[in-house]
Amino acid sequence: MKNSMKVLLAAVALGAASLSGCASTIQYGDAGSAKPISAEFGSSDLQQIAEAMVDSMITFPPMVELTASRRPVVSVDKVKNKTMQHIDTESVTDSIRTKLIRSGKFRFIDRTTDAQTIEEIKTQQDSGLVDKKSAVNFGQQVGAEFLLTANFSEIRQKAGSTTDVYYKFTMSIKNLKTGILEWSDEKEIRKVFKRGTFGG
Amino acid sequence: MIKLNKNVVVAGIGAVSLLVSLSLVGCSTTAGVETTGKMSWDDQGARTLEKKVVFNNSSLSGDIQIVDVKSAMAGDIMRAQATLRSKDKDTLPFQYRFDWFDANGIEINSGGGAWKPLLLTGRESKTVQSVAPDPRAKEFLLKIREAE
Repeated sequence: MKNSMKVLLAAVALGAASLSGCASTIQYGDAGSAKPISAEFGSSDLQQIAEAMVDSMITFPPMVELTASRRPVVSVDKVKNKTMQHIDTESVTDSIRTKLIRSGKFRFIDRTTDAQTIEEIKTQQDSGLVDKKSAVNFGQQVGAEFLLTANFSEIRQKAGSTTDVYYKFTMSIKNLKTGILEWSDEKEIRKVFKRGTFGG
Repeated sequence: MIKLNKNVVVAGIGAVSLLVSLSLVGCSTTAGVETTGKMSWDDQGARTLEKKVVFNNSSLSGDIQIVDVKSAMAGDIMRAQATLRSKDKDTLPFQYRFDWFDANGIEINSGGGAWKPLLLTGRESKTVQSVAPDPRAKEFLLKIREAE
């Protein structure tokens, strides 16, 4: 009995020692980490989608030709989120737009800040504060030539302790004048979650 | 008889806690394999790619092999591709990322890249690709590591 108590104590001590290294800590993580935490949509999924879309778009031969001598103006449509999750899809399109602008190939108009733009131009025109020579007039903005549209869907399957989630992000660029889709591509992601015997 | 059984159970607990502590030690990930490709032009004006592969992790060099490294242009944007081959007979999870540098070796969008998952089944060859963020990029660095 005494011997078994000693072993038990040793086991508890070992367990405690192993746990002591994992007491509450806070530290910076890698923003580009690809470690999946769950089968839900995560930061790495967002980064993979944004990179895949931008890489495909700027290397597609007709797009290379189109952007060789000019930088077309593009507007971004809201992503149709058909997944069962609440996803900030604007964050996905923001990443895509940022990468496209930084590539130097495209220019964008942003419809989400129109209210502020109107407010500012009104102030310049009507407040009497701004020199008429430098005040911006209404009706001078450039119209977009293309519209970037996207669909986001998921297929979720569950069998026993395994959850399999398949994501598909489809993006297209539409010529607003002709209605023709000039480019389209999709990114697929599969995540498999297996619940452990002791998992919560 | 009862005493013996208890000892076995206790020893089992000890083994489990030892295993837990060992598994916690393995939290860190190493940089693994690094490959660089630098684009330049020779006297005839032909595009050349200088390649270099560095293995920082001997266990990873036994798992994965970089078969070849290529680059091409899409307009004025550089593209890179590396062919990887698994040396293992089991499916192994890896992560890779490309970093891009301009003609002076200054990193473009420093620290902005993200690791991407790569699953290699036994003895499988797969290509990983990347497109430069902008036309300034003339050099890339491919990093491969074991999945976190």
